[in-house]
This record gives sequence, structure tokens and C-alpha cells, in this order.
Amino acid sequence: MNEPHFGNKVRQLLNEGIKFDGKTLERLRAAREKALKRQLVEQPMTGLAWANGVIGSFGGFAGFSFRLVLPLAVLVGGLLAINGWQQNSRVAEVEEIDVLLLTGELPLDAYLDKGFEAWLKKRSPL
Amino acid sequence: MAGQSRGYPLASPSELSAFLAGAERRAFKQAVFAVRNEESALDIVQDAMLKLAEKYGDKPSDELPLLFQRILQNTIRDYYRRQKVRSLWGMLLGSLGASREGAEDDYDPLETLPVEPRSEHEHPPAVQLERKQLIEIIEHEVSRLPERQREAFLMRYWEELNVADTAKSMGCSEGSVKTHCSRATHALAAALRKKGITL
Repeated sequence: MNEPHFGNKVRQLLNEGIKFDGKTLERLRAAREKALKRQLVEQPMTGLAWANGVIGSFGGFAGFSFRLVLPLAVLVGGLLAINGWQQNSRVAEVEEIDVLLLTGELPLDAYLDKGFEAWLKKRSPL
Repeated sequence: MAGQSRGYPLASPSELSAFLAGAERRAFKQAVFAVRNEESALDIVQDAMLKLAEKYGDKPSDELPLLFQRILQNTIRDYYRRQKVRSLWGMLLGSLGASREGAEDDYDPLETLPVEPRSEHEHPPAVQLERKQLIEIIEHEVSRLPERQREAFLMRYWEELNVADTAKSMGCSEGSVKTHCSRATHALAAALRKKGITL
């Protein structure tokens, strides 16, 4: 048996059979219109749809600031604090060596300092 | 942006409206074949339309037929499940005196849904045209097919979905779709032959 041929014959007959009374057609039309109204309610604006979608995925504007901006601010603040602490410890170390040099003692750490090494080379009589 | 007109990125309301207007009668008939009650069938079609518009109203218009079929079949299945729960409660409450033949398959009730003859199609008026009688016989025999066979056959040959889309919509393999269609075709042809009809 040729299945597609048989299927097409049945389709033609079924299509001829979809004739309904006015009441049924009216119910179908009403259902369709109701569905279309729902689509209009649900349809977002195109211009802001993408931005709204992105921000909305974070929970709206309030969620956006709370979930994204706050962690970023904490991260930047932490990095700045670490950088500041490193700078301060370096300055304190240099200051300590300078004080020891000025008081006449040559600490071992001075030989590890590249600046002191350069100064020695510059001052050596050759 | 204030005052700018609203935009509809994919399927516009007019496209969705045109699609639904074209599909609603077939959908209604499919639901009638499945549940054999016009009121319930109308409710099913309305639910399916609402779900399509609410959840998938922004999809491209060429995706609408497959989505609508999927939603329609799921809505019909939900109806069966509700009916099954109701009949279960009815049995528990002792309202059903008559015994039922066989136990329903818990896994897939659609395969074992009892098929009752529809008297209005068994005795068509003698004055009806031969074509009308033939259509009624076809509709009757289609409604008598096992659920999954009818679903596959109607999606393939009435809705003209391809095998892959039908399989996706039914949640089964393409091989299963082909098997269902083949069995449905043979069952329909055999039923028509018994009545002396060859297509």
C-alpha cells in the first residue's frame, strides 16, 4: 500500500469535513481573540527588550545593583587596599635601611638592595 | 523612547492570528477525535491557543505549527489524566457499579483508551451524499484508531509535519512515528475495505 497516497486522500476528506456550525466557529474565534490579547500583554518593547532582559535576569534594577555592582565594588576596593599595603611595606623597608646607613651600621639587607649596589659601583674609585 | 510604537520582533499578532485562524478547525477536530466531546474539545483548543500565545507568541511564525501541535497534544493528554483521576475517584466512591474490561496501562493510558462506537456515525441518513458519508466514515475510523497511531497519522498527513517534527512533537523516536503511521494506515485501510471502500 502506498502510505503517502493513502494519507493524502484521507487529508482531502478530512479537510472537507471541517465545516462547523456558527456557534462552534464563534467559540473558536473568541478563543483566538482571547489568545491574541494575551500575546499583546506579554509582548515586550523592542527598543528596551534586550537591556530589560539582561537587567531583568539579575532581578530588575535593584537586583542589578545589588548582585553585580556591589561585588565589583568590593573587588576593586580589595585590590586598592592590597596595592596600598604593598607600597607602605616597601617604603618602610627602605626607610629602615636608610636609618641604619645613616647611623653608621651597614646592614646585610643593604647589599640586597639594588639601589645601594648601583650607588656603590658609582662611588668606587675604579 | 516615550511615545514610540510597540514592536513585535518575531511572530506579529497578525501572523499569529492568521496561523490560528488556519489551524483552529483542524485542531478542534483533532481534539474531538481524541476526547469525543465537543465542549471539552473547544476547551482544549482554547487552552492550547492561550498557551501558544502566552509562552511562544514571540517565536518565528514558521515554528508555530510544530509548537501548536505539541501544546495541543499535551493539553489532550492533560485532559486524559484529569479524566483518569476523576474515574479513579468515582470508582473509589463506589459510584461505578459496572465492572470494566481489563486494567488500564498505567504507563501510557493513551494506548489502551477504550474505543466506543459513535452511534450518530453508524447510521448516517440515507439521504446524505456519498461524499458526506465517506467523510463521516473516515472521521469515525480515524477516531477509533489507538491514540498514538491517530496522533502520528494526523500530524504527518493532516498537519503535514515531517517525520522529525512529528517525533519531536510526540516525544518519541522517528522510527516510532513511522511505525505508528504504518499501523494507522493499515488499520484505516482495513476498516474501509470492510465497508467496501477503497481510497
